[in-house]
Amino acid sequence: MSLDFALSKPLVDYGRAVKEWSATECRPYAREADDRHAPPANWPEILDTSPVPLGRVDKPEAGQVPDFDEGYWVTKLVFTESIGYGDIWVSPTLGSGIGHLVVESMGTPEQLEKWYEPVVSSGLPTGFALTEPQFGTDTSMVATTATRDGDSWVLNGSKIFCSSGASSEYVVVFATTDKSLGAKGINAFVVPKGTPGFVVTRPNEHKLGIRSWGTSALAFDDCAIPLENRLGWTADGSVPAKRSGQSGALGALAYNRPNMAALATGLAQASLDVAGEILAGQKAGFTPRRWSAVEAELTNMNHALERGRRLNYKAQYLVDAGKPDRALAAMGKGYSPQTCERVIRRCIQLLGPEGTSQDLLLEKWYRDVKIMDIFEGSGQAQRIVVGRTLMGRVAG
Amino acid sequence: MLDLEPTEEHLAVAELARGLGLELLSPAAREAEAEQAVPEGVWRTLFETGLTVPVPEEFGGGGIPDTVTQMIAVEGLAYGDAGITLAAIWSGSAALLLARHGTEEQTALLRELAGNPDSRAAVALYEGHGRAPAEFTTSISRTADGSWRVQGRKVAVAFADRADPLIVVGVEPETGKLRAVFVPPSDPGVVIAADGRGLALDAAPTATVSFDVTVPADNLVGVAEDDAVALANTVGRIRLAVAAAQVGTAQRAVEYAAQYATERIAFGRPIAGFQGVSFPLAEAQIRIEAARLEIAEAATLLDGGEYGDRTETVTRVVNYAGEVAAEATRTAVQTLGGHGFIVEHPVELWYRTAAALSALDFDPLCSSFEPAL
Ligand SMILES: Cc1cc2nc3c(=O)[nH]c(=O)nc-3n(C[C@H](O)[C@H](O)[C@H](O)COP(=O)(O)OP(=O)(O)OC[C@H]3O[C@@H](n4cnc5c(N)ncnc54)[C@H](O)[C@@H]3O)c2cc1C
Repeated sequence: MSLDFALSKPLVDYGRAVKEWSATECRPYAREADDRHAPPANWPEILDTSPVPLGRVDKPEAGQVPDFDEGYWVTKLVFTESIGYGDIWVSPTLGSGIGHLVVESMGTPEQLEKWYEPVVSSGLPTGFALTEPQFGTDTSMVATTATRDGDSWVLNGSKIFCSSGASSEYVVVFATTDKSLGAKGINAFVVPKGTPGFVVTRPNEHKLGIRSWGTSALAFDDCAIPLENRLGWTADGSVPAKRSGQSGALGALAYNRPNMAALATGLAQASLDVAGEILAGQKAGFTPRRWSAVEAELTNMNHALERGRRLNYKAQYLVDAGKPDRALAAMGKGYSPQTCERVIRRCIQLLGPEGTSQDLLLEKWYRDVKIMDIFEGSGQAQRIVVGRTLMGRVAG
Repeated sequence: MLDLEPTEEHLAVAELARGLGLELLSPAAREAEAEQAVPEGVWRTLFETGLTVPVPEEFGGGGIPDTVTQMIAVEGLAYGDAGITLAAIWSGSAALLLARHGTEEQTALLRELAGNPDSRAAVALYEGHGRAPAEFTTSISRTADGSWRVQGRKVAVAFADRADPLIVVGVEPETGKLRAVFVPPSDPGVVIAADGRGLALDAAPTATVSFDVTVPADNLVGVAEDDAVALANTVGRIRLAVAAAQVGTAQRAVEYAAQYATERIAFGRPIAGFQGVSFPLAEAQIRIEAARLEIAEAATLLDGGEYGDRTETVTRVVNYAGEVAAEATRTAVQTLGGHGFIVEHPVELWYRTAAALSALDFDPLCSSFEPAL
C-alpha cells in the first residue's frame, strides 16, 4: 500500500467543525480571557454551542470526542489545533492536563484504574508538578523530598509554573526519596486536591501570554499521602517501579509534545487567515510588486506550517501504532513553535502598525505562542533529544 | 579615509544617554505602559537634557546634533526603554523638521518647543503598506488660490490629538516633491481615531489620522522652491531613530539574558556553558553590531556633504534592525526559559516592544519570511 497523507474524511469533517466553531463562538471572548487572566465566566455556555462533542470535563453527558480510525493521539492532535485555532483560552476548559499521562506511563494496573481511566473518560484536569524555582530543564535537580513515615509519604518542597495546579483533581508531584541516588531517586506521587499540607501559594503568575491559563506556585508542607500514591508502587511498597520518576515524567511529556506544537500551529494558522483576509481588503494600497511579495509570503508561511504538521502527525501516528518515537515527537515540537512565532510576527508586520493593535488578536497570539517553545521541553531540549538519537549521549 | 573611532562627543553622549536610559527610563517603563503616558518627572528630566528635542541654541535649545550623534543618543536611551524614548523623540521630531526647513516665521515656534516641557508636537509620517516617503499616497497639492489641500491617511501618529504643531508629510502629485505642511488637529477635515492599546509602545498615545483639509499657503513648511531631497533626508533621520531604538532594545535584552545565563545552573554548570544558549545570544550580538554600523553609516550619509536621497538606505537598515531586534528579544526570552515568560523579568517587555516596532516601517520587499528550520 502506498503512503497516504490525507486524514480520513470523518476526522477531517470533525476537525473542521471544531475549528469553525472555535473561531466563531470562542474567539470573540479571546480579549476578555486575556484581560481577566481566566476563561470567560460563561465558558460552559460557550462550550454548549458546539455542534460536535468535545469531551467536556464539566459535562460528560455532552459526549466524548468520537473515535476515528486514525486513533486517539492523531485525533487529539487534530482536535488540539482546531481548538487552538479559535483562541488559546479554550483548551484548559476541556481538561488538557498532563498529570494523568504520568500515571499512564508509570502506574500499576490499580493506579491506572484509579487515576488514569476516570480522567481520560471524564477529561478532568490533572496537574504536573516538576519544575521548581531552581530548575526546569535539568530534572535531576528535584529538591522536593518524599520521606516515608509509617503508612504515608510525607512531601516537603515547592513547585512553580504548574499548569492548572490550582484547579486540578490531583497533581502528580515529582520528589526525591533519596538525594544520594540523583535522578534515580526521583519518584512521582499523586497528590489529590485538598490534601492537608498541599497549598497553592500563587494561583496564577502574571505572564507574557496564555494569561487565561492558570500557572500556579505550590507548596508541600509536611503533606502526607498514602503509600499507594507513589506511582509504580503498591500499598505494601514491594513492586518496583517500571520506570524511574524522571524517565516517567519525560516519557509522559513526549506524547504531549506534538499537542503543544499543534496549539502553536492553531494560533499561527489563525493569524495567517485573519491577516490574509484583512490584507486582501487592502490590496489596492500596495504597489503591484509589494502585493506579489505579500502573496508569496502568505503562501510560504502556509507551507511552513504544513511541514510542521507532517512531522507531528507522523509522531502521533507512531504512538497510535504502538511504536512511539521520541525523536520524532521532539522534531515536531522542535520545528513548529519557533516557526509559528515567526509566522505570527510576519503577519503583524505585513499589516503594519495596525497589526500590533489590541483591536486585533495577532498581538495576543504573538504573546501566547512564545511559551510553546519553552514549556514541555524547550526548543534546545528537543534538539538535544534529536541529537542524541544521532550521536548518543555525547551529544550536548 | 576609513575612520571608525567615535569622537569625544559620541562617547560622552553615549554615556549620558545610557545612564539616563538605565536610571531614569528603565525604572519608569512599566508605569509608562500601564498609564499610557510617560511619568511627568521623567518627561521633564529627559526634556531638559535636550537629547530629544533638537533645537538650535539661538532658539533656546541645546543645538542640533548631527545624525550620528543623535542615533547614539536614541540607542542609549532605548537601552533603558524604547517606548519612553520614542514618545519623546517623536514629539521632538517636529522641532527638528522646523529647525531645518522652517521659514523664519515658522522657526519662531521653536522657542516654545524648546522651552516648554508640556508642549507636544507630531509629524504624521507613516502610512503602512511598506510605503517609503516618495510613495506616500497622502497628497499635498496646491489649489488655484495658492493654499494647500491635504488628503490622505496616516498611521501611528503619536500625540496627534494634542500636537501643536501637527506637521503632515506627503507628496505633491503635480511635481512628485515631498512636502510638509502644518495642519491644525482641530480642523473638521482632520479625523483622529485613537489607537488604544497595542502589543507595546503604549507610552506614546498614537492615532490613525485621516486628512481632507485645505490650509493657507504659508502653512507649508519652508517655501515651495525648497529642495525636496533635503526634506527627505530629515524624514530619513526621523525614521532612522526607530532603527537606533531597536538596537538599544536588542542590546539590553541580549546583555540581560547573557548575565542570566552565567548565573542560572543546569546540568552542573551555568547554562552559558551550553552552545544552545550561548550561540543564539552570540549571533544576536553579531547582528546587533552589524545593524549598529549600518545605522551609523546611514547617519553619515544623511549628514554628508554628498548630495543624494538616502531613502532606500534608510528603509533597508530600519527593516534589518527590526528583524535583528525581534529575533534578539525572542532569544532573550528563550534564554530565561519559563522565567522569561513572567513579568517579573523585563525580557517579555522587550519581546513585545521589538516586535511592535518592527511593524512600524516594515517593507515586505526588504526581507522574506524564513521558517526557523
Ligand atoms: C506558562 C507556563 C506553564 C508551565 N507549565 C508547567 C507544568 O505544568 N508543569 C511543570 O512542571 N512545569 C511547567 N512549566 C515550566 C516549564 O516546563 C519550564 O519553564 C521549562 O522546562 C524550562 O525550564 P526553566 O524555565 O527552569 O529554564 P532552564 O531550565 O533554566 O533553561 C533556561 C534556558 O537554558 C536552556 N538550556 C538548559 N539546559 C540546556 C542544555 N543542556 N543545552 C542547551 N540549552 C539548555 C533552555 O532551553 C532555556 O532556553 C511551565 C512554565 C510556564 C512559563
